[in-house]
Amino acid sequence: MATLTMAKALNEGLRSAMERDPKVLIMGEDVGRLGGVFRVTDGLQKDFGEDRVIDTPLAESGIIGTAVGLAIRGFRPVCEIQFDGFVFPAFDQIVSQVARMHYRSAGHVKMPLTIRIPYGGGIGAVEHHSESPETYFAHTAGLKVLTCSHPADAFTMIQPAIACDDPIVFFEPKRRYWDKADVDPDVAASASCWSAEVAREGTTATLITYGPSVRTCLDAAAAAESDGQDLEVVDLRALSPIDWETVFASVRKTQHAVVVSEAPLFASLAAEIAARITEHCFYSLEAPVLRVGGASTPYPASRVEEDFLPDLDRVLDAVDRALGW
Amino acid sequence: MTEALLPQPSEGPDFVQLLTPEGERVEHPDYSLDVTDDEVRGLYRDLVLVRRIDTEATALQRQGELGLWASLLGQEAAQVGAGRSLSEGDFAFPTYREHGVAYCKGVDPVTLLGLFRGTSQGGWDPQDHGFALYTIVIGSQTLHATGYAMGMQRDGGSGAVMAFFGDGASSQGDVNEAFVWASVFNAPVVFFCQNNQWAISEPLEKQTRIPLYQRAQGFGFPGVRVDGNDVLAVLAVTRAALARARDGDGPLLIEAYTYRMGAHTTSDDPTRYRLAAELETWKLKDPIERVKAYLSRRGAGDAEFFAAVDAESDALAAHVRAGCLALPDPDPLTMFDHVYAGGSSLLDEEREQMSTYLASFAEAAR
Amino acid sequence: MADFALPDLGEGLTEAEILRWLVAVGDRVTLNQPIVEVETAKAAVEIPSPYAGVVKTLHHSAGDTIDVGAPLISFDVEGESGTVRPEGEQPAEFLVGSGPKPSARTRRARVAPVAPMPPVVTQADRPQPARVAAAAVGERAERLVAQVHVLAKPPVRKLARDLGVDLRVISGTGAHATITRADVEAAAAGVPSPGGARSPVGAVIDVDPATRERRIPIKGVRKATAAAMVQSAFTAPQVSEFVTVDVTPMMELVTRLRAHPDFDGIAVSPLLLVARSLVLAIARHPMINSSWDDEAQEIVVKDYINLGIATATERGLIVPNIKDAGRLSLPELGAALNRLVASARAGRATPSDLSRGTVTITNVGVFGVDTGTPILNPGEAAILCFGAVRDQPWVHEGRIEIRNVTQLAVTFDHRIVDGQLGSEFLADVAGQLADPWQLVTWR
Repeated sequence: MATLTMAKALNEGLRSAMERDPKVLIMGEDVGRLGGVFRVTDGLQKDFGEDRVIDTPLAESGIIGTAVGLAIRGFRPVCEIQFDGFVFPAFDQIVSQVARMHYRSAGHVKMPLTIRIPYGGGIGAVEHHSESPETYFAHTAGLKVLTCSHPADAFTMIQPAIACDDPIVFFEPKRRYWDKADVDPDVAASASCWSAEVAREGTTATLITYGPSVRTCLDAAAAAESDGQDLEVVDLRALSPIDWETVFASVRKTQHAVVVSEAPLFASLAAEIAARITEHCFYSLEAPVLRVGGASTPYPASRVEEDFLPDLDRVLDAVDRALGW
Repeated sequence: MTEALLPQPSEGPDFVQLLTPEGERVEHPDYSLDVTDDEVRGLYRDLVLVRRIDTEATALQRQGELGLWASLLGQEAAQVGAGRSLSEGDFAFPTYREHGVAYCKGVDPVTLLGLFRGTSQGGWDPQDHGFALYTIVIGSQTLHATGYAMGMQRDGGSGAVMAFFGDGASSQGDVNEAFVWASVFNAPVVFFCQNNQWAISEPLEKQTRIPLYQRAQGFGFPGVRVDGNDVLAVLAVTRAALARARDGDGPLLIEAYTYRMGAHTTSDDPTRYRLAAELETWKLKDPIERVKAYLSRRGAGDAEFFAAVDAESDALAAHVRAGCLALPDPDPLTMFDHVYAGGSSLLDEEREQMSTYLASFAEAAR
Repeated sequence: MADFALPDLGEGLTEAEILRWLVAVGDRVTLNQPIVEVETAKAAVEIPSPYAGVVKTLHHSAGDTIDVGAPLISFDVEGESGTVRPEGEQPAEFLVGSGPKPSARTRRARVAPVAPMPPVVTQADRPQPARVAAAAVGERAERLVAQVHVLAKPPVRKLARDLGVDLRVISGTGAHATITRADVEAAAAGVPSPGGARSPVGAVIDVDPATRERRIPIKGVRKATAAAMVQSAFTAPQVSEFVTVDVTPMMELVTRLRAHPDFDGIAVSPLLLVARSLVLAIARHPMINSSWDDEAQEIVVKDYINLGIATATERGLIVPNIKDAGRLSLPELGAALNRLVASARAGRATPSDLSRGTVTITNVGVFGVDTGTPILNPGEAAILCFGAVRDQPWVHEGRIEIRNVTQLAVTFDHRIVDGQLGSEFLADVAGQLADPWQLVTWR
């Protein structure tokens, strides 16, 4: 058992994946010699060589497009997009090619890519460095989407993601890169990354969340105890496909649901979650499913980001509204 | 996959230089420059002030007053040379590092700080000084520049456009598409590439097999490489390129061969990927030292002059510092402003909800 | 004195290690002079002094790892250097620039109560959106809420559906006039809701002059009752039998009971003795007090008699019942009858009163009607119909005399009660009313 930051836990997970399968490649800007701008790929080029850990030219579309070709050849590329806001030059390759290749080829061609993207805000960054674009990818058929919320999950989820034969967009909450926790390196790499986790059990209301907002919700639940509220927190972990069973069971128990994520509210993934809960848990709901998210604006100047992002107070405000319905 | 696959330019027709690193005037067959002592003194002053803006902003970042700063240290001559070639009717499309070009275009450096302090996303009007907003997504601005130039072609504008980008950006699809557009439409755009040798940790060899200025030929327009640390050479080459564009002769690629003396941004640690020896080599090619040496040697700049420039740079630094600290924290509700030109009822509603929500607290959070 | 905290040095770093101090306590430093070298997860950096002044305190030593935002160094600051932050303004305790700020762990105090989100109604021809004042938002919520036809939460809706209750006729007693679970249960039992605002029976509906017809919506108790009747009529095969009885002795007993001290304060009526007869007859013929459980394929014979009395009220016919009527003494039964009828007429019958009945008496005599073919209360096997008591010529001890005569009818569920049982039961009841002394000697 070691106490690792999330960045380090991902590093260890990548290392394990590369040791296990010689077809695994890592490619992206500054991932090799520098070890990544967040040091997630630190030391890997030194140990696995430049042919497997590749510093690419500065072109996101090029990274993903060439990864498609490598995948067709039988490799298992792990692509890094340096920041969430820079994925859009690659969006066409991801949506038009990566997501559809298996479908187009009637199953002959697999796209076992993992596209790692640091995402989310709350780090006082400049434009394009704090986005939450997960909805676009969850909405795209043919892709699977995962997101870890803490170091142990980072370690265990990245490995089956890489091993998965479907293309996975793997979102890493950058504001949690420096969170530390105990990580058991012996946890089986086959541990499921597709199930949601009840991060905190409760009875009053369910907070459904993922990625950077999980810790926010756990903090909110802790603070809510003094208000006599016993909140359950469900960490989705997988955004596509979603583990509906865990979600529905929780909502049927607590009868109140609040979905929390950083993404701008309008037409976000939270909306799909709310709709589906309403459909499947209708007779259990004492209040409509509420959503807490970013304002429906572009990510603002960082000096106001704390008001843009869902924080403890906003989460609990939503809980109060749900309970008071 | 090793370094030094590209020949290091030092002299010859493929490398325009008019002032050596030691401060000696030299000639180039294709580019000449008639410049007075007064003008050179002015350029020296520009270089010193631009560097001082940059070092002050870097210090402010280290002191927590800016979240980030992208330093142009070492690239002053490239930016001042290009900036001083742009005339009133010309338009500049920068990346996020062209603080020297901004200065030359008359933009108050404090205007640039909001973006890095996190109090705005930029927020200036490009038409104020013919200087577009900083573009952080790599290379996008080259297409914008080309489109703007195409606009000038269509509405009788007599100016030209200069698109700034770096060596790393030359790999981006957008930049190559801009080359295509500019060439087939014969647009009056000068592509000014500051090849500072590094894209964060990736050296030039990761982006190209040939010298960057030669890329232009493949697209059908001329390319020229200039000593980016030589303000006189940059001035000469950019003047010629802009005149050519204004005359309707189409695009041109300038590769300003320079060096990123600092980190990519203040979040970067260059000691992890490049050798100190390389830095030392480039210190010997400092853009300001050579001008100082030139002025001193020919008696065009004395101690009094240099001291006056230093004093002026101190004052400018103080202005930058004070301006930075005085930048107001925006009201949270401003996040809803300007999302749409035509307004949005959804956002009006969200603004209202946030306003009510914020007012419901006994104390403000921040 | 000015303090300087460790800033975030790059995109969200949370801590840094002090590698070495470049100044010492007492040193005079200029603005931007490098004062310390720190190492973060990303880089080793020199931090330049934000002040000109004299170093007063170094808050940590080389080798220490400190959090972003923690105090790093303090200065005695020069009076006026032009670049120093104005007196009185301290650098923010938290990082001014970038970095993940320490997240809140507790709630901030609220001054305004939490308002529920108003349901958003977008109209197709919505004009230029006006800024809604905060106070008006609550009002708008109320108005919008009132426009919605039925207000009941999904779990309550499900309950209503299961109980066959139409939510449209119920006035809710919950917040914002929502219908609660209790409201639904009350409606299911046929109790008029306390709100009373939506009573369809009392509603005045005008004749449409065009058609000369008056259309009354089928809702509420009427609808529920109708549904029950239909269900009863078309589920159980129902047979009615009739008997005409000389109840003169029973009427004399009523008079005597009224004068008896045990019945002080109790309104004694013939219905009381009919009820008593019924209860005793059931004791001798228990199958009458049963129900047909089709799902379980069982006949449930009950050992308790919850005696329902069909009662006409303003809202329609309801059937409250007296629980365990078989165990009550005659005075207790009388009192119970009084209470039941009074509360039903006043609209105060509870859901409990209205449920779990096992047998019913319907008293048509109060209307001057002789008899009828009553329909079974669903879930019961028999219903007794008690008609008017009339003075009629009767053969009494061989002579024609004017006697008190009444008709009794019983409808029974022929799946459970055959003709013999039904007849014997009816004769039993009739016999007791004809010879009341049986009420005393039996049981």
